[in-house]
Amino acid sequence: MTTDVRAGGATHPAVAAAAPARRRVPLAVLVGGGVLAVVLTVLVCVAIGPAHLGVGEVARSIAHHLGLDVAPVPRLHDAIVWELRLPRVLTAAAVGAGLALSGAVMQSLTRNPLADPYLLGLSSGASLGAVAVLLLGVTLLLPVAAFAGALLALTATLTLARSGGTLTPSRAVLAGLAVSQLCAAGTSFVVFWTAKGDSYQEILAWILGSVAGATWQSVAIAGVALVGVGTVLLTSAVRLDAFAFGDTAAAALGIDVDRTRWTLMTLVALLTGAMVAVSGAIGFVGLVLPHAVSALTGPLHRRLLPVVALAGAVFLTWADTLARTLFAPRELPVGIVTALVGVPVFVVLLRRRGGAAWT
Amino acid sequence: MDVTIASVGAQLGGRWVVDGVDATPPTGVLTGLLGPNGAGKTTLLRLVAGLLPPAAGAVLVDGTPVHALARRERARRVALLEQESSSAVPLTVRDVVALGRTPYRSLWGTDPDEGAVDRALAAASALPLADRAWGSLSGGERQRVHIARALAQEPELLLLDEPTNHLDVSAQLALLSFVRSLGRTTVAALHDLNLAAAYCEHVLVLSAGRLVASGPPGDVLTPALVRDVWGVDCDVLEHPRTGRPVIAFHDVDATAEVRA
Repeated sequence: MTTDVRAGGATHPAVAAAAPARRRVPLAVLVGGGVLAVVLTVLVCVAIGPAHLGVGEVARSIAHHLGLDVAPVPRLHDAIVWELRLPRVLTAAAVGAGLALSGAVMQSLTRNPLADPYLLGLSSGASLGAVAVLLLGVTLLLPVAAFAGALLALTATLTLARSGGTLTPSRAVLAGLAVSQLCAAGTSFVVFWTAKGDSYQEILAWILGSVAGATWQSVAIAGVALVGVGTVLLTSAVRLDAFAFGDTAAAALGIDVDRTRWTLMTLVALLTGAMVAVSGAIGFVGLVLPHAVSALTGPLHRRLLPVVALAGAVFLTWADTLARTLFAPRELPVGIVTALVGVPVFVVLLRRRGGAAWT
Repeated sequence: MDVTIASVGAQLGGRWVVDGVDATPPTGVLTGLLGPNGAGKTTLLRLVAGLLPPAAGAVLVDGTPVHALARRERARRVALLEQESSSAVPLTVRDVVALGRTPYRSLWGTDPDEGAVDRALAAASALPLADRAWGSLSGGERQRVHIARALAQEPELLLLDEPTNHLDVSAQLALLSFVRSLGRTTVAALHDLNLAAAYCEHVLVLSAGRLVASGPPGDVLTPALVRDVWGVDCDVLEHPRTGRPVIAFHDVDATAEVRA
């Protein structure tokens, strides 16, 4: 035969000792912990507020409305829970989960760690739709107008990105940038030209993102979008993972690269559009949480996606609770809180990673 | 698996980069795909892998055109390792090999054969690497793990695009010796003619998109062919220990009419 070579050539002991991969927490533990955290967060955050309620009271009120046989809660407290705080808390949870999920998928699809759910011009399009209602007196429900604006922006972005070629990540990002800028200019123009008095604050709150006006209708919109689109995204985790070594490798593993990217981008955009429609453009959730959570779950989407959704729900619910209690009775737009919390987290992650994976 | 490359052709920007190639890589052995840069080796591998629809002819696996197979089905039968495959995703070796199970997984990601990853790692002698970070591996280890990933696809046909690129000589020999020992139908694009001569049972020589020679390396790799295809003057010697051909290059032959 030929040459006398070590059959393995496999391990270099020095290197083996230098980089042991960390042991991973089982997914079931992470998801179980996450679900528990979401439930506790909802109960506690509903209890927090100017009219002080106990967590037990909150649980009983909810259980009562779900038709369980429990001792009823005083009517006033029940109304605070069921009519005021619970819709808001649930909206925040659903929006947080949706944005975190969208951000994680968008970062993978565009291979851009700085991608967020608004990358394809969605928030700017939604803002344009919103100011059209708030200032120009277009007679549409605000969420409908915002969603329509987001869809319009998405269509423009994808059309632009696809014109004269295939949908590559960089083309999508650049087209999104162009559409964002155009919509932002349109929004600024409308605000500058027509806004007066109180409407400024209303516009600003919307652009910074807020769930202050959440109703059961918001819960329904955000919840249906989250469950519907979220399920499809979770079942796409295997396909997303197949992109780890690039498009050709994914194709060799049996993935329809073009169709997968196109479908998932559209789904993420629909989910984000629904979230923006009920809450405005809340920043940083979709950008920071995927990074923070992947430090815990590892980069595989099968582990990352379910956990990041749960983490997003917990994160935004607490951020919104801070937003409404920190300077009570005045409220902050929750977007300010997410940025205040998100930026330091981002800085820590940036320093810890040392740029190895983020070049 | 029987692979028949039947008059297959592919166009790129109006030019035939693969042009009427007919070949039958023998079953169960390592076939070397040789040719100068730009001869169409990568394109031919992509055609055989079914990733590129042929503009002419067809690639048949067991009689079925490969590009007509459903994607998942195809990925279970043919594995392609592209050149210079790298990832910025911080995966472990086990994660990387598990990617090879993609065409078998359910929607929720479960694998009907949970032992497959370990078997592929073991087949590639890469079990000791399983928990290492991908980024910490040497070049030779990475190729070995890539091949373990391909084996996890349980393919009948293995396609490798310059698997020895950037490896040191020991890693090159170890890798090809390992690939040959798999006893699987394998087609590997190779640049090093001596490696091809030492390890391949069969070679295909491409030049400007056309197949110009095929057969056992001892028959195919003659000074005349090397001069014709690569424009290099050489002598072909016999290896003192293995008896296989050894190509001793002399110089670029300025007078040769290179076909490319």
